[in-house]
Amino acid sequence: MKHLNGIKITFISLLVFLCSFPFILSAQQRITVSGTIKDGTTGETLIGATVKLQSASQSTGLATNAYGFYSITTAPGEYNLFVSYSGYQSSIQKITLHKSLTINVELTPASTLQEVQISATDLKDENVKSPQMGLNKINMKDLDNIPVLLGEKDVLKAIQFLPGVKSGGEGNTGFFVRGGAADQNLILLDEATVYNSAHLLGFFSTFNADAIKDVSLYKGGMPAQYGGRLSSVLDVKMQDGNDKKFGIEGGLGLIASRIKAEGPLVKNKSSFMISARRTYIDLLLKAFGDSALKKNTLNFYDINAKLNYKFDDKNTLFLSGYFGQDNIGIKDLFANDWGNTTATMRFNHIFSNRLFSNTSLIYNRYSYAIELIDEKSNAKVKSLIRDLNVKQDFQYFSNNHILRFGLQGTHHQITPSDITATSNSSINPLSIEKRYGLEFGAYLSDEWKLNEKLNLLFGLRLSQFSLLGPGQINTYNTNAEVISSKTYKSGDFIKNYLNLEPRFSASYALNDKNSIKASYNRNTQNIHILSNSGTSSPTDQYVMSSNNIRPEIGDQIALGYFKNTENNGYEFSAEVYYKWLQNQIDYKDGADLTANAEVESLLLYGKGRAYGVEFYGRKTKGRLTGWISYTLSKTERQFDGINQGTYFPARQDRTHDLSLVAMYNLSNRWSVSANYIFNTGNAVTYPAGKYNVGGLTTYYYTDRNANRMPNTSRLDIGATLKAKETRRFQSSWTFSVYNVLNTKNPYAIRFRDKENDPTRTEAVQTSLFGIIPSITYNFKF
Amino acid sequence: MIMLKQIKYITILLAGFMVLSACEKVIDVKLDNADGQLVIEGTITDQLGQQVIKISKSVPYTETNTYPPVTGAIVTVTDNNGHAWSFSETAPGTYTLPSLKGESGRIYTLKATVNDVVYTATSTMPAAVGIDFLDVKVFNFGDEDQKQAQVHYKDPAGIANQYRFVMKVNGIQSKQVYAENDRLTDGNDVPSVLFFTGNNDDQDQLKTGDVVDIEMQCIDKNVFLYWYTLSQQSSNGPSGGTTPGNPPSNINNKALGYFSAHTVSKKQLTVQ
Repeated sequence: MKHLNGIKITFISLLVFLCSFPFILSAQQRITVSGTIKDGTTGETLIGATVKLQSASQSTGLATNAYGFYSITTAPGEYNLFVSYSGYQSSIQKITLHKSLTINVELTPASTLQEVQISATDLKDENVKSPQMGLNKINMKDLDNIPVLLGEKDVLKAIQFLPGVKSGGEGNTGFFVRGGAADQNLILLDEATVYNSAHLLGFFSTFNADAIKDVSLYKGGMPAQYGGRLSSVLDVKMQDGNDKKFGIEGGLGLIASRIKAEGPLVKNKSSFMISARRTYIDLLLKAFGDSALKKNTLNFYDINAKLNYKFDDKNTLFLSGYFGQDNIGIKDLFANDWGNTTATMRFNHIFSNRLFSNTSLIYNRYSYAIELIDEKSNAKVKSLIRDLNVKQDFQYFSNNHILRFGLQGTHHQITPSDITATSNSSINPLSIEKRYGLEFGAYLSDEWKLNEKLNLLFGLRLSQFSLLGPGQINTYNTNAEVISSKTYKSGDFIKNYLNLEPRFSASYALNDKNSIKASYNRNTQNIHILSNSGTSSPTDQYVMSSNNIRPEIGDQIALGYFKNTENNGYEFSAEVYYKWLQNQIDYKDGADLTANAEVESLLLYGKGRAYGVEFYGRKTKGRLTGWISYTLSKTERQFDGINQGTYFPARQDRTHDLSLVAMYNLSNRWSVSANYIFNTGNAVTYPAGKYNVGGLTTYYYTDRNANRMPNTSRLDIGATLKAKETRRFQSSWTFSVYNVLNTKNPYAIRFRDKENDPTRTEAVQTSLFGIIPSITYNFKF
Repeated sequence: MIMLKQIKYITILLAGFMVLSACEKVIDVKLDNADGQLVIEGTITDQLGQQVIKISKSVPYTETNTYPPVTGAIVTVTDNNGHAWSFSETAPGTYTLPSLKGESGRIYTLKATVNDVVYTATSTMPAAVGIDFLDVKVFNFGDEDQKQAQVHYKDPAGIANQYRFVMKVNGIQSKQVYAENDRLTDGNDVPSVLFFTGNNDDQDQLKTGDVVDIEMQCIDKNVFLYWYTLSQQSSNGPSGGTTPGNPPSNINNKALGYFSAHTVSKKQLTVQ
């Protein structure tokens, strides 16, 4: 209890400090311009739009926050207010400041062929000026053009074309960032954690692109408001819904169809958006008479919905939710379903034109069920992880500072496994004890414009994790033996961990178009997936930090060079990083993790290190747009008891990783696109010899992951045809060919006795997808 | 067990869908070839008769599946009741004892001296559990019925049991390792489906007239860990399966293989 009191006092004093901070800084009297930047046709707020106040003598600017809000404080005088956002016509207006003003700006989307230049100096240089590094954004409009497997546009597949991001596998939405594991990505949908972002075993993601407004991927230099995962933050934000007019859009694809409705509920005050998607692979194949599949189920669906209500200029309420489910099964034999549910309630309050507040209440849940349907050996296994989350976030905009501070509390519940069965089943019912955890975060960061050249973003995050009772808790030694056991009551604190996470980034502008940046950040993680197979599976098992499992800790340093040329028509960046990972988790050979109360006795703990260099070049203007990214990297792990305790390559260690994305506008109606990827094969363990036991050829292995799968390369092409537009109705056809060169890329390699000569062995490579054409029809009215 | 079944079913299900696009091909791989490692495979069974310990060496992946025998070893087995048996080399690398019946509850210790290195292992023979009967389980994955063999046995309540099955169809041994325990089935009548894996994919199910021989072994915990680890590596899931490694052996000094004292129960079935 003493420990808890200590935490309480720390939190209260921190809170007092945080709340008094703005007032200390706001001592000098200046004038503030604030407001919201929106899309003029839909009323959607624009996240990260550049807002700049320019006078003859000076210029100050910033990017809008997650709600499109900006606030600039400056001296009285005559100014030009510039607002710009990628894909929109920039706006400029003359303003005279003698008292504080609220100026809301609506931007008009630019047609791709006639990009309007408002001034000689373009303003889209945030990537150079901001101290933030390791950040990549996905332009949602690009997603319409990037050709993908079966034409299902996908955010998680698009980010795999970015530097430092490695694909979980062929056609897979799983990803690894800068040498991190798949469970070290914090994936947020409207602030709610999405534990499993995969549909259909990873071939599609849970993110329906129709419903998404903004996607930001932080690979390093994580701002202090994010915490809980080591390697990356993928912050996905849903659309608010058009608040000007009602509209419906949708698409018919080969394997799935989508429909979205949005519109105002109370004009300029309230709007809604609801989007749904369902696959019909199984129905389709049945229709084509493939009778072998008639008894099988294989589908998923998801629904995104959002509602907002603007009480007045200062108060806005947002409600958003996601529900998705996968179903696979074989009739009379087996059924497996899984899915995420998230719900977010957020309340924006503008305390003053400088102090922006957001309060969030968040619920999220991931669960799966497996059912074996058989009279004599039936069973149903259920498992879930559920979070309840409260967040309070403040942003304070002062002269040269943007302060961000807040508190976050999360209650976790994990139900590892509940097995039920009928009384005549050979399988016995079994419930593994639930586990509860409480996570607290407090953070403070300051983005400080020191002078024209030097920008700093520094902060501190305090992370507190407690494993809560009730429960019977065993402590294990390295031989998996119980060395102590204790029973805790509900509300007992079993184990507490307190971590300080410093975050620091700085940018130094060499001139207007060139800058260098550096960052350091520490992240900690208290929710872990037990997996050594690399990609995510619907039945991934989650564990929390405990008396046996210590929080994972990751430290990263990065250094970068950023350059824009040709009026920001070209962006270029190069970043090097080095990352240290502590308390990494693997499990012992032969570990049976299913419904195992002693799962913590089967774990191994180790270290990791990852380093690399990333190059990224992007063309943002003209008929031809796109990017090229190349990563050279190394990712290693070290565990006592594996590979004689020496460092070995992690499975996702791929030395070279190259991606090219190109989109070309042929005419107002036709556009074409292509992607190309090349990467070194996964690190795998091949046999170094063979022997015979139990009548079977058995392989002898020496070093872990010392071999390489063959390289992977693939070219995809696509074309989009816009049908003649009427005032009411727009439609387009998207044609794509995945893997147009029909490259046989390695998915898995196994060794077996030769079919026609069992005295010899051979290696067999499985490739998943050859050339796959697809067509999608999209409409909007 | 539930997960293994789930993985098996998902694999079958996906195979149905992937058949249009997925493909397999034999490739050349560059492998490191390690020196020959010592392999000991020793068993003591509860069947009165010859008991066999085999000692050989591993070979590089590229060579044929003939494993050089290790001759001239001194092999003895003792039990915790003061008995000691010495095995004699009746064929190169094959060390035998003409007649012994292992007994449940006894702890057997193997000692093999090869080139002055002493390898030891112990194994406890569990209580015998026999096969009740065999039958054929018919799976309907669509139009076609798929037949697989099913073993029925009664698991004794209140004690931990581990089993391994060896299946032969028309004399050809299934490439799959079958190992299970009673963690979730304690005290029950257990039907266990053994999915057959033949020399090629066409042989992965049973046909009318096939003769199926199944041997059920009750094994101790360490031997179970050995077989279970191997079974996890051979049942590749949809995403490529577990990182392979050498299964944890109960023999010391880094010898490959195992020493197992187990009971044996055999039954035969002709598929109708």
